[in-house]
Amino acid sequence: MRIYEVFLKRDGKDEFRHAGSIEAANQQLALVLARESYARRAEGDLMWLVDRADIVSADHSFIAPNADKPHRHNDGSLVAARRKAQREAAS
Amino acid sequence: MSGVAAGSLSDGTREFLLCLADDEHLMGQRHTEWIGVAPFLEEDLALASIGQDELGHAAMLYELLSGPGRDIDDIALGRSAGEYRSCWLVEQKCPDWSDALVRHWMYDTAESLRWQMFEKSSIDELRGIAARALGEESFHVMHAEAMVAALSLSSDAHSRLAHSIAELLSLGVAMFEAPAGELDAIDDGVVSTSMVTLLPEWQQRVDARFGEQDWAAVDTVHQNGRTTRSDSFAPMYDVMREVLLIDPEAKW
Repeated sequence: MRIYEVFLKRDGKDEFRHAGSIEAANQQLALVLARESYARRAEGDLMWLVDRADIVSADHSFIAPNADKPHRHNDGSLVAARRKAQREAAS
Repeated sequence: MSGVAAGSLSDGTREFLLCLADDEHLMGQRHTEWIGVAPFLEEDLALASIGQDELGHAAMLYELLSGPGRDIDDIALGRSAGEYRSCWLVEQKCPDWSDALVRHWMYDTAESLRWQMFEKSSIDELRGIAARALGEESFHVMHAEAMVAALSLSSDAHSRLAHSIAELLSLGVAMFEAPAGELDAIDDGVVSTSMVTLLPEWQQRVDARFGEQDWAAVDTVHQNGRTTRSDSFAPMYDVMREVLLIDPEAKW
């Protein structure tokens, strides 16, 4: 048995979203069973199945060191505040 | 083709359509009995969903047969056992998963052939029902095929499936027995051909999927044009009418 991750995309501009996962013996069965498990009420217009073994993944230890870098959250608010102050001083 | 109004169906045609409706109804009922107890969750959902489709087909046909003073609930659940026209295959309990799966395969393979008989029906509504049913049947067959194909690779499952085929083959053939009213239905142009003409194609598909069968040795099941019920019917009939017996006003 293999585990497949199921993604559904609604009609229109929505992106594919993870709907859940499914365990099946092969691709054909995975498609049929995913259809009944996740799309029987027409929850999506398109469906992707991805074998979980094919997913390239990274865990906490790989991502977490980036959590402590506030300087990467530059939203431009400091610059905007200074320019606003300059405009007000000039008028 | 000029359409015949569904309200003016001949008695024979009504009886014939009842066969297909009752088959769908009882098959749906049997499939949904696997809710919560199928071998794994995904299969639980799939079989229940397929069962719902079959109940939907039954409801469309019962609707066609309904009229003033006889609504679809009266037809679906208000008849006596002798008035049903189901084939015996769909009446079986099949508590063994292998039997239930093989029955599902046999039934839906037959269905996908049977609905094609209505593609040129003289009744407008029936052509519509058939088109819708055929669209859904292709997924039912896909499900049954994929499941049987995957299981056939294991020797244990393969022998269990072979046992189920041997067990159910005569009932499978009996699906195609000429039901009461069939000649009238053909005369009325409601259906293009008799059911038994579909049997060779069905047998060929069985042979291709499960290996060559000894068709000459298959017992004949005496359903008497589907006018008699098998022993499995009575207990299912009681379950189907359980709610109705508590509340006669309940709607399906």
